[in-house]
Amino acid sequence: MAPQAASPVDDRLYQRLVDLLSAGRPDPGPGHTELRPAVEQALHHEARLLDDRCYRDWLERFTDDCVYWVPLDPDGDPRGQVSYLLDDRRRMEDRIGLLETGWAHAQEPPSRTCRIVSNTEAWPLDGGETLARCSTVVWEHRKDRLTPFASRNDYVFASLGDEWSIRFKIVRLVDSRGDVRKFSFVL
Amino acid sequence: MNALDALVQPDRVHRSIYTDADVFNAEMSKVFGGAWVYLAHESQVPDPNDFLASRMGLRPLIITRDSDGGLHALFNRCAHRASIVCQAECGSARRFQCSYHGWTYSNRGDLVNVPYPEGYPADFHKAGHGLAQVPRLGTYRGLIFGTLNLDAPSLAEWLGPAGPLIDGFVDRSPSGRIAVRNCQRMIYRGNWKLAWDNAGDGLHPTFAHRSFVILNERQHGGARSLSQFKASPDDTGMYGADLGNGHMFVDQRPGLHQSFWETQRPVPGREWYAAQIEQACGDDAADVLEVAPGSMINLSIFPNLLIKGNHFETVDPVSVAETRLHTWMVAAEGAPDEVNVLRMRIAEDFPSLGNPDDLELFERCQEGLAIAEVEWVDMSKGLGHDAEEVSADGVVRAPVTYEGPMRGYLRAWLELMSSDVKLTTAAAGEVTCEVAA
Repeated sequence: MAPQAASPVDDRLYQRLVDLLSAGRPDPGPGHTELRPAVEQALHHEARLLDDRCYRDWLERFTDDCVYWVPLDPDGDPRGQVSYLLDDRRRMEDRIGLLETGWAHAQEPPSRTCRIVSNTEAWPLDGGETLARCSTVVWEHRKDRLTPFASRNDYVFASLGDEWSIRFKIVRLVDSRGDVRKFSFVL
Repeated sequence: MNALDALVQPDRVHRSIYTDADVFNAEMSKVFGGAWVYLAHESQVPDPNDFLASRMGLRPLIITRDSDGGLHALFNRCAHRASIVCQAECGSARRFQCSYHGWTYSNRGDLVNVPYPEGYPADFHKAGHGLAQVPRLGTYRGLIFGTLNLDAPSLAEWLGPAGPLIDGFVDRSPSGRIAVRNCQRMIYRGNWKLAWDNAGDGLHPTFAHRSFVILNERQHGGARSLSQFKASPDDTGMYGADLGNGHMFVDQRPGLHQSFWETQRPVPGREWYAAQIEQACGDDAADVLEVAPGSMINLSIFPNLLIKGNHFETVDPVSVAETRLHTWMVAAEGAPDEVNVLRMRIAEDFPSLGNPDDLELFERCQEGLAIAEVEWVDMSKGLGHDAEEVSADGVVRAPVTYEGPMRGYLRAWLELMSSDVKLTTAAAGEVTCEVAA
């Protein structure tokens, strides 16, 4: 058993997530084109790591105070509502650790995925962070079924370039209010 | 469909109860109509004129609270040409107007306006053309149930020994009240009774949730969530019970070696929120924190409500081989906000890490059930075993891995399916609502 750091999640962090979701209203204007190549480099690299199921490498790209969040209500406050998942780094490690036990039946056989990342925009934030928004479709094939998971994603990058790292990843599934097929891979 | 009795035998059930569309169609009236069906919780329609979309089997419903606070379960179906009249999941409305031809109803279900009223036959009266509704409603600790069967027993009788167990779940809240919040919606390709079998099944966690048990041991150590199922669960004192009328109970509490809070896997925010509670509540902090983790019980109210952990799971059949599972988050009213924030993260913990394995296994069962020549599903574990105890109220208790709760609910299912149930609907003003607790 590896010693684990305490969760960084507190009231301030939740408030930051809520503010991030509302940051698109009013319209912040077009993205900054000069940020786009570095953001796309990171997004495409992340997509490949996930499609290759290199989950440990993927996790390395997150900061210690990161959050990976799949909300149910695109306007919801996670303090008062349940999400599909809202993970800090500790629970992300659990999610990956679960797959590594070899007994996660829902991933036996594992999903094969192909994700398309598009409509990328980016804006600078204070403190050297970068806000990125994109549209993603994850095509999942497992057993006899091909299932699309379409979402609008929000990212806060702590850094860009070859050492890119993610602080927040928010996956807003377009059908999060509808009946979703179970998923146990990383979106 | 023939000879239902032959399909449910003491030690086994026939595959066709999971695969036969005729059985499914009969269930949609005799069970999801003839029995008391869970519809919603009062906290979802707290104020006058609130409404919530729901279902009773395949029937779309609008649960409304009228301006005087009365509850109604209106069929979401225009009396004119059948279009559903309400598209929203929830909200506040005094009127529901059909978009197709403008017929307009009150939230009691009365038809209040028909456009261009001239031209209807002389004997056309608005009073006879309101929204049809569920004729019998009942509430128990805020849970709203309905039945189309005027001959069904009272709700209190129907719940029987399940009633005090609902009390136990609700009374974990300091105020004695709960609030149902939002829900995760999942769908699986399998019969609805596969979820029902699973809810009373204390044999499966050791195997179906092996990944979860191993993970917790590796990452967090000690006796964490579900570790009581790691080996020999029957030596822990955990038990399952057949409560009658199809209701089932699995009690994991005797398997715990420490408090709920200490047993709970760490979730996001655990440390900060616990520190806030410790600061605010002093010596009471341990008791306050004990409300955050799940209840450590599985209480199944036949035919469609599974109370697990801190949530309500509603089992909503779509077709013989497709089912919606909606997992509703339940907040503890009167507990500090910090407790309910922790409950949010806890309520998405097992559902996102453990439930996918259950759903996968339901789908694998449905695949196996396709083989017509291999007809039987075995449920014999514990049958006739002297470890089964029957209490004065008829509750049959047995070690947790025994399959008695499943056999019990299927006996109740068979009784309903074999009965000659007469279903009716009511018009506005003809509805009864009984308060069982």
